[in-house]
Amino acid sequence: MIEHVSAQPSSIRWRSAGLFGTALLLWAVALLSLRVGSIDISTADAWNALFHYSADSYEQTVVRYFRLPRTVIGLGVGAALAVAGAAMQATTRNPLAGPSILGVNSGAAFGVVMAVYYWQITHPIHFVWFAFAGGLAASALVFVLGSAGPGGVSPVKLALAGAIVSSLLSAWLTALLLLDQQTLDIVRFWLAGSLAGRDLSVFFAVLPFIALGVAGLLLLSHQLNVLSLGDDTARALGMRTGAVRALVAALTVITVGASVAAAGPIGFVGLAVPHMVRSLVGPDYRWILPYCVFAGPVLLLSADIIGRVIARPAEVQVGIVTAFIGAPFLIGLARRRRVADL
Amino acid sequence: MSRLASTDLSLSYGRSTNVVHTVNLEIPDGAVTSIIGPNGCGKSTLLRALARLMAPASGTVILDGQAIHQYPTKEVAKRLGLLLQQPVAPDAIVVEDLVSRGRYPHQSFLQSPNERDRLAVERAMALAGVTDLRNRPVDELSGGQRQRVWIAMVLAQESPILLLDEPTTYLDVAHQHEVLTLIRRLNKEEGRTVLMVLHDINHAAWSSDYVVAMKDGSLVAQGPPDEVLRPDLLEHVFGVPCDVVRAVNTTMPLCLARGRCLKRKEPATNGSKDIKPRIGHEPPVMQTAAIRTEALCTGYGQRRVIDGVTVAFPEGKVSAIVGPNASGKSTLLRSIARLLPVTAGMVMLHELPIGESPRRAFARKLGMLAQGPSAPPGMVVEDLVAAGRFPYQTWYRQWSRDDERAVERAMEATGVSELRCRLVETLSGGQRQRVWLAMALAQETPVLLLDEPTTFLDIAHQMEVLDLVREINERDGVTVVMVLHDLCQACRYADHVVVMKDGHVAASGPPQHVFSPELLRDVFGVDSILVPDPVNDMPLVLPLADFNPGRVRAPRPNGAPGDRARSSRA
Amino acid sequence: MTSQQASPVGRNMRSRLKVIRLRGISFRANLWVLTLVCASLAVALLLSAWALTLGSFSLPIREVVRALIGSGSDQARFIVMDLRLPRIMAAVLIGAMLSMSGAIFQGVVRNPLVAPDMIGINAGASLSAVIWIVGEHPSELLPIAAFAGALMAAGAIYLLTWRGNIAGARLILVGIGVNAMLGAATTILLVRSEIHDASRIVLWMTGSVYGSDWNDVRVLAFALAVLAPVGVVLMWYLRVLQLGDLTAGSLGMPVERVRLALIIVGCGLSGVAVSIAGPIGFVALMVPHVARMLAGPMTSGVFVLTALLGSILLLGSDMIGQHALPVGLPAGVITAALGAPYFLFLLYRTQTRV
Repeated sequence: MIEHVSAQPSSIRWRSAGLFGTALLLWAVALLSLRVGSIDISTADAWNALFHYSADSYEQTVVRYFRLPRTVIGLGVGAALAVAGAAMQATTRNPLAGPSILGVNSGAAFGVVMAVYYWQITHPIHFVWFAFAGGLAASALVFVLGSAGPGGVSPVKLALAGAIVSSLLSAWLTALLLLDQQTLDIVRFWLAGSLAGRDLSVFFAVLPFIALGVAGLLLLSHQLNVLSLGDDTARALGMRTGAVRALVAALTVITVGASVAAAGPIGFVGLAVPHMVRSLVGPDYRWILPYCVFAGPVLLLSADIIGRVIARPAEVQVGIVTAFIGAPFLIGLARRRRVADL
Repeated sequence: MSRLASTDLSLSYGRSTNVVHTVNLEIPDGAVTSIIGPNGCGKSTLLRALARLMAPASGTVILDGQAIHQYPTKEVAKRLGLLLQQPVAPDAIVVEDLVSRGRYPHQSFLQSPNERDRLAVERAMALAGVTDLRNRPVDELSGGQRQRVWIAMVLAQESPILLLDEPTTYLDVAHQHEVLTLIRRLNKEEGRTVLMVLHDINHAAWSSDYVVAMKDGSLVAQGPPDEVLRPDLLEHVFGVPCDVVRAVNTTMPLCLARGRCLKRKEPATNGSKDIKPRIGHEPPVMQTAAIRTEALCTGYGQRRVIDGVTVAFPEGKVSAIVGPNASGKSTLLRSIARLLPVTAGMVMLHELPIGESPRRAFARKLGMLAQGPSAPPGMVVEDLVAAGRFPYQTWYRQWSRDDERAVERAMEATGVSELRCRLVETLSGGQRQRVWLAMALAQETPVLLLDEPTTFLDIAHQMEVLDLVREINERDGVTVVMVLHDLCQACRYADHVVVMKDGHVAASGPPQHVFSPELLRDVFGVDSILVPDPVNDMPLVLPLADFNPGRVRAPRPNGAPGDRARSSRA
Repeated sequence: MTSQQASPVGRNMRSRLKVIRLRGISFRANLWVLTLVCASLAVALLLSAWALTLGSFSLPIREVVRALIGSGSDQARFIVMDLRLPRIMAAVLIGAMLSMSGAIFQGVVRNPLVAPDMIGINAGASLSAVIWIVGEHPSELLPIAAFAGALMAAGAIYLLTWRGNIAGARLILVGIGVNAMLGAATTILLVRSEIHDASRIVLWMTGSVYGSDWNDVRVLAFALAVLAPVGVVLMWYLRVLQLGDLTAGSLGMPVERVRLALIIVGCGLSGVAVSIAGPIGFVALMVPHVARMLAGPMTSGVFVLTALLGSILLLGSDMIGQHALPVGLPAGVITAALGAPYFLFLLYRTQTRV
């Protein structure tokens, strides 16, 4: 798959080296994520916690039951959001498209709030399925609305439908929260988007979906390349764009739905990471997507680590940190590019 | 037997009426075929249907003896490559990457590119002459290069049939030739069948073996260029009288629409065979200049586009600015209109520096119509024209008698009075351009600048607009300065021509003094000859290019040297 | 697309225009717009009157009128003048201000989908207000804090967008970024605050005219009296600005100065409204669309119509939230619930214009 037709072997070598470098960086960040937090833990303890766990050691227990879950969830969610974001940008040809454009985030949030309000579910572990269902339902609604009416589905209509469904759901969500302070107290942490407080079962619950989605999108990277030339050109090259688009959208929704279910709505990773990667490796999705698999978690885990240390001993939710990192990036992007391209 | 044909093909968008009616067309194998016709005649739609991009309302498209919809999509793409109008490349994509994406139909789902793909890409780039550009980002290339890169992408498909939608539009003369030459070579050396939709009749005349003329969704004529490109037929198709000028030492005809207000031949020069200066009888000395620039430098941000331009536009005349793409034509116009800050030098309007009067007062002296202006949706024609009165109005004096009179007069002059209650977005291209002109006229300025007023229009609409420009000039004495794309139009409609190249003025003066084969080669990089205009003996520029040397054409009986170019009007 | 059909707006345009000339003053009035303005004014007044009668203590209209002219019973006077009237007037004024600000921003950016709530102005007001709430500052000054926040957000957006000019597309992007950042900051405070403050924050952020008093109404009325006339005049410039910067510039308009003025007025309108009522969604986005659909492209007259329709919408929403539902809901929730389906309907109607 990751093979470039270019007659320039140096460029392949360079890009492969970059990919390897990103993977190494991810490894380092993941290790840091195991070590840093309200208490700092040595590399040896972190290592032992993974491979020679002894329940006697407080440090190892912290790693095993608190840091490890959030790190692996961060890995999965980061990769999922970044890859899904890149795929959305390719299919909509819109540099601003992110996974949240399909209404997945607000759908998931709504699902969780409903679960808390009507079924008195209180623990984040049980939010997963409601968030997933809510996200899927919302994005299905967005698709139906975006493709109905004259003219069929178009990226702009899809984006609009997504924005509108999102704001409608968040209005209802606010109404629910206003009616019930208890629900607000339970979900407000979840709504900020966080990796904390989940255990490994959450990770294993969403892993199959994330793996399926990410793997599927990686396999479709060549199709994304062609699709990014525009709908008509892609069709002229013999692609069944409707089918490919639907497949990409389905995989994206599954991936993002699973990651929102695990970590809550986390913005800007899906928007910013593909742009950063693209500025490094160019517009070839056969490179962009694998880079995203590593670069997404790097950003997400870094944000998580920053959130842990910045207000020690309290934590700042990772969704907030990514917004603070991502928004200046978006503004910079807007300032740098020619306006016509936006 | 032709590989691509259509039988009783009708096409429509949605449930509305058919855009194309029962077209029976056989594309001759191994030849270059062009489809021409006015805007909105359905030619691009037909091309899209032939490439299977849209399903027919009725009838079929037949590819190699089978209905095209029975093939798998990739199979169609292997046999038939389509280049769309103005495709947009993803940001920062390099040439080779873009070209290699054309291999898509030959690759299966998980297959990585193999040696054959690599070779096809190399060959496509070599054919299109873009091998040297392989690592350059596409968005940094010139228009002609970019178009060749896209053609290379289609070539990488290795399809025996190529469909091209307006491959020469938006390009300047040199780049048009670059592309037409390439297309011709592909046909000759590779034996590929080419079908293209062309905006410019002359391109069809020069580069194709067969021409198909369409009007209102139906085929009107088809056959070799000499048969189809006849004045009577062109007039029927485009709805405007046309001349077909044949020059003596080339087989290439020059098809020109003839507007109502073409500069007439001076009675004194009647019958003379050589080209005479037109402007009065005085030598080509500049009379009073309406606009004068001195060592003008300007640009966008750090980039300097205009570099030391000293030029004058004569009072009461129609002047045209011509030049290759990105030579600074529009920039010059904008800096004259005070829309761009002047970095150095000065611009004088009626011998007064333009910076001195307040903006509104300036807007009462000089109006400008930008290129491709757009009105907000829901705007009515009359309101748009009324917007031209802005420099005369204040918020509490929104509709004085003068305003009303000026707007009525402007609509009258442009013939849009009966459209006054129509929404601007529902008008045709030519109507819309006339409405914008009316807006500029309502400004009632003695000087009017027009930036490419004829681009995107078909020849009938172009004539409509140019006639109007001359009428305004002759009746009201308005000084007009316009940027034009087409050299022949500049010859026919302008009294004064300014030729620009790379931000400098290469030449200026009356067209018959300015245009020479040497200048045209120097500025546009194209060989050409000057042909006397059958209407008024002004020079017309006929680019000479080796598009179609092999084309067999019956020797012209009247083609003796020294004979004036004939205009055959049936 | 040379279809012969003109829109109903276009076809009847001519007969509906009436020219008014008086010495140096001259206007062209669109009678249809004038009719619509009068009609919606009447609806707004009737709706207000009806709203005065509604409540847990229902008053017949005769009582209300008497209370208004000051001759009713003390109890009725208290209910009408101190409880109901301020709230109704606040709803009317805020609805007008929000929708006018939406019309201004949609015009400046040349994008029908922009509203001040999208590009960070409301988020600025929210953040500032939330800081105020969390900091336990006196709640009388909350509107001032919120307005300062809106102004700061607007200033930041303007400075970040400025690169020799203010391009509409760039303004949207920068606005989305600023919005996200301010939103994240608000979320931090929401998450870290006491639950008591948290629900106050959520209540404020939903947008409500509940509990408005005469002080609020005075502030709103003053802002409207200053900004709305400026807006009406600026609309006349906006008509030309919408033809594009080049055309407007060649017609002699100081493009950037007009745009700055429009942005200031737009921010002022939405900032003051948000500071009193919190960020009420959808009004600014939706009402200008409705007005344009009824009356054609945005002119000074349509701008006034927009304001009146905004008043009707917000007052109606507040009445529904207060009286029609089993539980009282803030107006912001109702406007969103009404607005989203309407907007989806709009999406069907306009094919690809967006």
